[in-house]
Amino acid sequence: MSLAANLRTRLSRAPASIIIMAGLLGAFVLMALFAPLLAPFDPARQSLIQRLRPPGHTTAQGLTYLMGTDDLGRDLMSRVIHGARASMLVAVASVSVSLLIGSALGMLAGWRRGWVEVAIMRFVDIMLSIPAILLAVLAVAVVGPGFQTLILVLGLTRWPRYARVAYAQTLQVATLPYIRAAELAGARGPRLLLRHILPNIAGPLLVVATAEFGLMILFEASLSFLGLGIQPPTPSWGTILSAGRQYLERAWWLTAFPGACLFLLVLSVNVLGDWLRDHLDPRSRPRG
Amino acid sequence: MSGVVLDVRDAAVHFRSRGGFLRKAAPPLKAVDGVSLAIAPGETLGLVGESGCGKSTLANAILGLVPLTGGRIEVAGRAVDSADRVSLSAIRSDAQMVFQDPALSLNPRLSIGAAIGEPLLVRGLATGQALRDRVASLLKAVGLEPDHASRFPHAFSGGQRQRIVIARALALQPKLVICDEPVSALDVSVRAQILNLLVDLQRERGMSYLFVSHDLSVVRHIADRVAVMYLGRIVETASMSVLFGKPRHPYTQALLAAAPEPDPVRQRAKPRRVLDGELPSPANLPPGCAFSSRCPLASDLCRSERPTLSARPDGASVACHHAEE
Repeated sequence: MSLAANLRTRLSRAPASIIIMAGLLGAFVLMALFAPLLAPFDPARQSLIQRLRPPGHTTAQGLTYLMGTDDLGRDLMSRVIHGARASMLVAVASVSVSLLIGSALGMLAGWRRGWVEVAIMRFVDIMLSIPAILLAVLAVAVVGPGFQTLILVLGLTRWPRYARVAYAQTLQVATLPYIRAAELAGARGPRLLLRHILPNIAGPLLVVATAEFGLMILFEASLSFLGLGIQPPTPSWGTILSAGRQYLERAWWLTAFPGACLFLLVLSVNVLGDWLRDHLDPRSRPRG
Repeated sequence: MSGVVLDVRDAAVHFRSRGGFLRKAAPPLKAVDGVSLAIAPGETLGLVGESGCGKSTLANAILGLVPLTGGRIEVAGRAVDSADRVSLSAIRSDAQMVFQDPALSLNPRLSIGAAIGEPLLVRGLATGQALRDRVASLLKAVGLEPDHASRFPHAFSGGQRQRIVIARALALQPKLVICDEPVSALDVSVRAQILNLLVDLQRERGMSYLFVSHDLSVVRHIADRVAVMYLGRIVETASMSVLFGKPRHPYTQALLAAAPEPDPVRQRAKPRRVLDGELPSPANLPPGCAFSSRCPLASDLCRSERPTLSARPDGASVACHHAEE
């Protein structure tokens, strides 16, 4: 049974909550992909007469703002739809970068031991002790703000968490007899790490990655808030949220809608991540 | 010596605890100290001793998984050097290992076909259909269905998993298979099956076994010769019948006395021999005979001078000052 076919049979037996969450995540991905087609307005077009209109407001020209407008009279719904692109792209890219770096270094430290272990794990400690915001400000000062800077800053500051998990898991797995058996079979270096160790430590790493996914969207928001991330007028959920914060008492919709989207996206990723971890394990195959 | 599959001469494995910052280096732990033994083609040598006596360390040293501190080990005429990758690779195609716990010696994420075929694949000896054919014939040889190759280890019972591990060990057609407690993690009901399988495979393929165990009743079933190990040294070697019929070393006698008899009448009639004293730490051995702290025959000589292995007319060797002739 191939992995894809196996996953398909599992998905057909998955509980309703998983189906709903998968549908939700799929909807967000489609929304981000087809944002220009779905958005009713240009997300950057301002209209100072239509500032802070409540959801469902219809103008004299017959235009309806389903989610209302922001402080510059831009259509909130269009901005939320377009914002999904930046937020999800930043989250996916930075989680990928940090997962790659962190698990590679963690596995290397756990496998090679000796001075490699000391060097990598002390570096991890150093990285963890530097405030991420400080590093971000430094990086932005050197490279300038922007999309790539944001991904690099997040990717290069968040990897120590993966490295810690990968390191601890590798230490545990490396002493098991099947790793010794693989060595006796003649497997070495990359083959041993990728084929024998990585699949057996992937579960915990996946859980860290899904937890980090939500955090990355929030980090993007706070960095953008500081002016270090996504630059206006490009919308992201983070920038919409931080701008809406100032109008919390007067215009609840500015934070409620992107906040709800953020909540649902992070929830679906976390629930699906847990489910995937349980079901990628061959020991828990579907019966029959 | 030519024609010997395994030749261990005066092998020693000492583990040094590294002294670190503000920490004094402890004396080395002598896990294996001055062990010599040889195995002829097609022979089964049982290596027995209580846990912590260095049996598994010796097994690991033979495969180069642990560096030797002293002495020399030759597998099929080739010296084992744990630092030399090229020669290690050759040695590991002549000597393979069957581990104690079959639940832990198979990668749970690898199909059993991939696990059995890995030694062949990694060495470039077979790929594609040829590899699948080899795996199928290995599965058949250990009494499993060839079309089980795509299943994962969790789908098999403990006994079946140990068959898979044996198939993997046989993939390279080794001259020596080191069995490190191969049945002690199995149910008693499947032990005999696995032991019989090992005997059958040896008859068909003619390889030698180094059979490491703490269980004399298991060794009795399979071994031609037995070496008894105590705290890193061999205290007695003899052929199976001599060792069980006329154990000479007091430690061997105590081991045999401790093994339960299936017949309760004989069990009750058996002289009881309980060892007193503590097992000394292998990091801090007494100067004389290592067994002197627990030996009923220990004299001042034993506590000051270490006995060496001396040969007896019936082929046995004993390291004891007081062993009866």
